[in-house]
Amino acid sequence: MAGGVPLLLEWCNRISATSLSTVIRESDWWFNIIETVHVIFTTLMVGTILVVDLRLLGIVLCREPASRVVQAVVPWTWAGLAIMGTSGLLLFISEAAQAYDNVAFRIKLVLLLAAGVNALLFHTTIYRAVGEWDTRLPTPGRARTAGALSVALWTAVIVCGRTIAYFH
Amino acid sequence: MSLLSVFRWLADSQLSTAIANSHYAFAVIEMVHLMGLTLLGGAVIVTDLTALGLISLKQEIGEIQRDLSPVAAVGLAMLLISGFFMLADGPLRYYGNAAFRLKMLLLVVAALFYFSVHRRALSVAPGARPRGKIRLAALTSLTLWFGVALAGRAIGVL
Repeated sequence: MAGGVPLLLEWCNRISATSLSTVIRESDWWFNIIETVHVIFTTLMVGTILVVDLRLLGIVLCREPASRVVQAVVPWTWAGLAIMGTSGLLLFISEAAQAYDNVAFRIKLVLLLAAGVNALLFHTTIYRAVGEWDTRLPTPGRARTAGALSVALWTAVIVCGRTIAYFH
Repeated sequence: MSLLSVFRWLADSQLSTAIANSHYAFAVIEMVHLMGLTLLGGAVIVTDLTALGLISLKQEIGEIQRDLSPVAAVGLAMLLISGFFMLADGPLRYYGNAAFRLKMLLLVVAALFYFSVHRRALSVAPGARPRGKIRLAALTSLTLWFGVALAGRAIGVL
């Protein structure tokens, strides 16, 4: 690696040189349209996550079993994630070389990973035993912690996402 | 006093100068705006998808609506307060912006509709449920809020 271009930066530069990247970057409309789709489906994804988090915290929909809220709402979260992720990837492709150096973008990726790990941990631990606390209030401490962490992490993801544009 | 003179007064205010001169104020305000958006969006989307039968919960739709209504109200309050500060950043820039005018119009219609007609349509007695009316109210609400968001996104592009 000594003296050479870091591998990740080289990949980002190659992505920026593709025609897909150039088309989005140089069009007045494509970037705006993709960014609008990204914001709207982020609202769907994070909005539905917040409703589930508020149920885990025992603030809303407390007369619904927790598992019922999760099962009913989370498919919409996945739908939001699919389109948010695709549009986000396209936005990244359009400015991969700049994104590499963007501190806000780097932090956002770490936070996204952390939010994913938090959700995974919740589903593989305390949620496995949801039968024991489905209708109980207050909800168990570990469910509340997962909910509060999720609110904090997604808030931070949105803050970093918006900050990316200010670092250009 | 005309609307333009109100906007001029706001543009000449200390608040406007402070926000316009600050490096970070607009960014911070915009982040509060986006968080308000996810709260309002989450509450509206879950309520209306349930009303449309696309989310299946145990309670009556009227109870779901009442339960999530405070979340929508908090989100809307965050949006309105941060939105006012965003406006204060450059009132005269927004005054002539067609997307801004359309957004304000849609916002008033959407908020009034959501917290009156929509609420009443969804809080029907269990059993006697006019499904058509509930679905129409939910579709109208989703369309109106979507319109507000789109017009809002267009403000920066125009």
